[in-house]
Amino acid sequence: MSQRWVELRRREMASLLQPERVLYLVHGEKKIRSPLSQLYFCRYCSELRSLECVSHEVDSHYCPSCLENMPSAEAKLKKNRCANCFDCPCCMHTLSTRATNIPAPLPDDPTKTAMKKAYYLACGFCRWTSRDVGMADKSVASGGWQEPENPHTQRINKLIEYYQQLAQREKLERDRKKLARRRPFMPLAFSEKYGLGTRLQRTRPGAPITSLAGLSLKEGEDQKEINIEPAQALDEVEPLPEDCYTRPINLPEGTTLRQRLLQPDFQPAGASQLHPKHKHLLIKRSLRCRKCEHNLSKPEFNPTSIKFKIQLVAVSYIPEVRIMSIPNLRFQKESQVLLTLTNPVENITHVTLVACEEGDPEDINSTAKVMVPIKELVLAGKDAAAEYDELAEPQDFQDDPDVVAFRKSNKIGFFIKVVPQREGLGDVTVSFKIRHDFRNLAAPIRPSEEGDASTEAIWLTHHVELNLGPLAP
Amino acid sequence: QAQKTNPSAKIAAGAVVCVESEIRGDVTIGPRTVVHPKARIIAEAGPIIIGEGNLIEEQALIINSYPENIMPDTEGVEPKSMTIGINNVFEVGCVSQALQIGDNNVIESKADLGRNVVLTSGCIVGACCQVNTCEVIPENTVIYGSNSMRRLQTERPQPQTLQLDFLMKILPNYHHMKKAVKVTSTPVRNQAVTH
Repeated sequence: MSQRWVELRRREMASLLQPERVLYLVHGEKKIRSPLSQLYFCRYCSELRSLECVSHEVDSHYCPSCLENMPSAEAKLKKNRCANCFDCPCCMHTLSTRATNIPAPLPDDPTKTAMKKAYYLACGFCRWTSRDVGMADKSVASGGWQEPENPHTQRINKLIEYYQQLAQREKLERDRKKLARRRPFMPLAFSEKYGLGTRLQRTRPGAPITSLAGLSLKEGEDQKEINIEPAQALDEVEPLPEDCYTRPINLPEGTTLRQRLLQPDFQPAGASQLHPKHKHLLIKRSLRCRKCEHNLSKPEFNPTSIKFKIQLVAVSYIPEVRIMSIPNLRFQKESQVLLTLTNPVENITHVTLVACEEGDPEDINSTAKVMVPIKELVLAGKDAAAEYDELAEPQDFQDDPDVVAFRKSNKIGFFIKVVPQREGLGDVTVSFKIRHDFRNLAAPIRPSEEGDASTEAIWLTHHVELNLGPLAP
Repeated sequence: QAQKTNPSAKIAAGAVVCVESEIRGDVTIGPRTVVHPKARIIAEAGPIIIGEGNLIEEQALIINSYPENIMPDTEGVEPKSMTIGINNVFEVGCVSQALQIGDNNVIESKADLGRNVVLTSGCIVGACCQVNTCEVIPENTVIYGSNSMRRLQTERPQPQTLQLDFLMKILPNYHHMKKAVKVTSTPVRNQAVTH
């Protein structure tokens, strides 16, 4: 049993840097606890934002294998698929084009044969080739491959047209009814002006579309009536083959559910009918704070570039707490845990830690009592040139050795005392609040009366939870 | 560089076996087979017979070992011999304990074959796939993916003749080779050593 514990401990020490050990609480519509590396910071609202309290917008479409950009209209036309790249129908990997030399008769002289290049698609992962499904080799490297045509395309298109027309008609009727009700209260022109902003109108899910812009004066125009034949119900169904229950199953011959459902047009049951499909496009998205409508993250347009035009991530504004080492934790015995605090900004930051009070509504997960250092911790600014500057004098901060273990450029290590309160299995979790000063460089500098040009610092408080692992046996 | 003499290894003429490879026990290697440095062929519980045209890459391990529940010193255990056919490829880092391997198979990197698997011909065992069932793998099977899924392919993998020719030319330029030991029926005073 102790050997297993040694192994667990070893694995645990290696995982202290895992991001899920330290969680920050985000105040939004939902209280979300998430590692700092996955959070954003709106510097106009001065608040942390998680992925769930921002609105996601599609920036651009691109193909993940050929990295070709595609405007949104074109992407919609091509059903969000790349024109050049194919996916293996068997393992969903990207297919590559391979060439072989085949002897083919020369067009001038049928008796002589010359080597001509023939191209086929092959998957490097599962070794599927286009010859497996009977697709003939093409003589051009790209552009020769076609997806098989869906036999029901015409019927589906007709149905779509009919229902689109029906939906439009219904919307007009609905708007007309609403307008008739509203007329006594407000004139038509005003209601559009004092309505909600279009963006919020759009992003509210489930809300009826109230824009009256659809109400046009062209109602009198005759729209072409589209009629569809109703679907016929058949009485006779194709019977199952007689040896359905007795025939031994040949697993490699059939398709898996995933392979089948990736081709919703045909859903072939046999592997010999799996045709390759064009590759799905991926999107680049930009994030926007819901309260102040500022962009939090805006990637570059070029698919090959991983940089951002706007990148307001939390790790570059909020000091980050990380666990450095955990001693053996025992039930109701006090132990010292070593944590580190890193300062991401270039000016000196003052951090105060406050333990959570009794009955704190945010403190729901902690299973241990924690004693944090009372004094204020001072973090030096992040200086990118510090390692090259040999003449720089080390700043003297006069640290209390009981509290501060070490100091290294913009990082300090400090101790907290932990007393686990719960016995048995389960991880020891502690939580406390971090209070630090933040200089908002985004806000406009207001000329103050004393002529002081420096930006004012505001104090931000975050609730942090740490997972210290299991108790020692 | 001192050659590790292994008197019971029979290396046919035309095989290219690097000195840095480890060959232990009763191993027969056919002609036109290339054994890279750091490959290990260990015949513990019986002889290994490797055919011709095979390609055994670095850190591949072909081992004829005792089954797990039998101690090496047990009496009455018959040595089973391991046969490997022609034109097989053992990619980097694979482990093969299968007693019977046919022709034209490809065992990809870090694949693991158990002792009771029988590979027929044209099979491809994908990278990191573990096959330790007790069965005969049908011809032209491809085993791939993290769940070791299987499918049949219509054509067998091509023999790596180009690669083999290239290696047989280039490897002797950079590595010392183990000298070929021809199996002679008549005993002579000196061991017949031919290049």
